[in-house]
Amino acid sequence: MYRRLQIIVELIARVLALAGGAVLLCIIVLTCVSIIGRALVPFDIGVGPIRGIYDMTEIGMAAAIFAFLPWAQFNEAHARVDLFQPVMPKPMDRFLDLAFNLAMLVVAAVGTWRLYLGMQDKLSFGETTLIAQIPVWQGYAASLLGAVGFILVAAFCVLRSGRRMAGLPD
Amino acid sequence: MTNIELALWSFPILLALVFLRAPIALAMIGVGVGGTYLVIGSSMMTLNQLKTLTYGTFSNYSFSIIPLFLLMGQFATLSGMSAALFRAAESFLGHRKGGVAMSAVGACAGFGAICGSSLATAATMGQVALPELRRYGYPGSLATGALAAGGTLGILIPPSVILVIYAILAEQNIEKLFVAALIPGILAAIGYMIAISVWVHWSPNSAAVKDRVPWGQRMKALGQVWPVILIFVSVVGGIYAGIFTPTEAAAVGAAGTGLVALASGQMSWGKLNQAILSTAASSAMIFLIILGAGIYNNFLSLTQLPQTASVWVGDQGFSPWFVLTIVLLMYLVFGCVMDSLSMVLLTVPIIFPIMSVLDFGMSANDFGLWFGILVLIVVEVGLITPPVGMNLFIINSMAKETPIGQTYKGALPFVLTDMVRVVILAAFPPITLWLVWVIDAL
Repeated sequence: MYRRLQIIVELIARVLALAGGAVLLCIIVLTCVSIIGRALVPFDIGVGPIRGIYDMTEIGMAAAIFAFLPWAQFNEAHARVDLFQPVMPKPMDRFLDLAFNLAMLVVAAVGTWRLYLGMQDKLSFGETTLIAQIPVWQGYAASLLGAVGFILVAAFCVLRSGRRMAGLPD
Repeated sequence: MTNIELALWSFPILLALVFLRAPIALAMIGVGVGGTYLVIGSSMMTLNQLKTLTYGTFSNYSFSIIPLFLLMGQFATLSGMSAALFRAAESFLGHRKGGVAMSAVGACAGFGAICGSSLATAATMGQVALPELRRYGYPGSLATGALAAGGTLGILIPPSVILVIYAILAEQNIEKLFVAALIPGILAAIGYMIAISVWVHWSPNSAAVKDRVPWGQRMKALGQVWPVILIFVSVVGGIYAGIFTPTEAAAVGAAGTGLVALASGQMSWGKLNQAILSTAASSAMIFLIILGAGIYNNFLSLTQLPQTASVWVGDQGFSPWFVLTIVLLMYLVFGCVMDSLSMVLLTVPIIFPIMSVLDFGMSANDFGLWFGILVLIVVEVGLITPPVGMNLFIINSMAKETPIGQTYKGALPFVLTDMVRVVILAAFPPITLWLVWVIDAL
C-alpha cells in the first residue's frame, strides 16, 4: 500500500517538475525569438519583439516554481544545517523531522488556500498584466497546479517521516 | 516585550530551529509569521499578504534570472566544455611544477564563466581533473583541496547566482556587480595557483610534470573553448551594453550552453530530464528561502530593527573599518556552518542598511559593489571550510581513496589565500572598482 503510494507521489512530483521545466524551456526559446525579433526591427521587415514577453516570463516562471516545489519536498532538497545531526539522539532527530514535515504541510496548505483566494480576488477585479493584457488569475490558476501537488507531497512526507520514526523502511 | 526585543529574540530562536535541522526556509517562515503575529496581535495581515505574496515572489521578473542561470549551469556540465577547458589550461601550465593542479584551477575559472554555481563547477571539473591528477601522482589532499577551492570560482566569476540575489536585496546593478567580480575572481585563481606552487615547492615529490606543449598546439587547444568565450561575452557583455535585460541574458546563456551540449552529443533525453529535475530542486529550494527571507524581513521591518540598528551603529562612532571587520568575521564564522545563499538572504537586508550609513570615503554606488564582492568572497570560503564545506564533500565523495581529513588539510592553503585576498580587496577598494570605472567612462 505504502509502496504504491510512494510510487504515485513520486510520479506526480516528477511530472510536475518536468512540466515546469518544459515551461522554463519555452520561456528560453520565446525570449531568444523575442531578442532576435527586436534586433531585426531596424531592417523593417515586419518582425519585432514578442509583445508582452516580460509578462509571459513572469507568469511562466511563477507556474514553474510552484511546480518545482513538490519535487524539492519529495527529495528533501530544502537547505538545512546538518552540523549537529551526528550528536543528536536518533529518536529526537526523527521526531523533529516529523514535526518539521508537519509544519511544511501546514505551510503548503495555508499557502495554497491563500493562493486560491488571491486568484478569486484577481478574477473578480478582472486584473490583467500590463502589456500583454493577460488576465492575472490565469497565472494564479497555473500556479495552483503545483501548489496542490505540494500539499499532496508534503502530506506524503509526513507519513514517510512517521514511518521512519516507527523504524519502518522508506 | 518591546518590538525591538522581539526582533532581537527572533535571531536565537531562528538559529536554534536551524541547528535542529529545520529547513532554513521553513524556520524563516515560522519565525517571521510568529513574530508578526506578536507585533500586530492578529494574523489577518499575514493572511492577507499571503494571497499575493507567494505568487508575487515567484513571478518577480528579477528573480526569474535564477532558474535560468541554474539551468545554464546544468547544461554547461553536459557541454563537454570542462574537458576542453582543462586540456587548454594544461597545454599552457602542464609543464610547470604543480602544473596539472594549476590547470584544474584555471579550467575551473573558465567553467565559472558559464556556470554560476560552485557545487556544479566543483563536481564537473572534478570528474575531468581528478583522474589526471591521480595519474601524475598528486596526493589526494592537494588534488581534492585544489578542486574544491577551484569550484568556488564558479560563483566568484560571473555569472553568479549569489551576486544576483545580493543585487536584488541591496538594490545594486547586476551588470556592474558582474564586472566588479571579474578582477577579484581572477585574483582568486592566481592566489590558488600560488598556493599550489608553494605546496609543490615544499614537498617536491608530490607531483610529476607534463611535457612542454608547443605554441601551435596551445593555440589549437585554446581554440576549442571558443563556445565558452562566446557565451560569456554575450551574456555579461550583452547585459552591460544594455542589449538585453539580465533575465534575457540568462535565457540566451541557457540557450547557448544547451546548444553546445546538444552539439557535443552528451545531451540525451535522460540527461535533459536529469538537468531539469536538478534545476527544479535547486530553484524550489532557493525560491522558498527567498519567500521565507521576505516574510522574516517584513517582520523585522515592522519592529524597525534595521533602522534602529543603523542609527545605533552610527551613534556609537565606531570606526567603519572596525565594523566591516566584525561583519566579515561574522560571515566567515556563520559560513562555516550555514548555506551561503540562506546567509546572504537572511543578513543582507539587515546588514546592508547598517553598513551603508558608515563612511568608507566612497560613493554609495561604489560601496554597494565593493561590499557585495567582499560578502560574496567570505560566504564562499564557507564552502571549503569544515565542518560544513559542501565543495569539500562533493570532491571528496568523487575521490574514494582520500579520507575527508586529507581533504580538509588540502583545502587549508587555499582558505589562507582567500583570507589574504579578502584583506587586500578590503584595504584597496579600487582593485574591485577599477574595471567598473573604466567601463563606465567609455
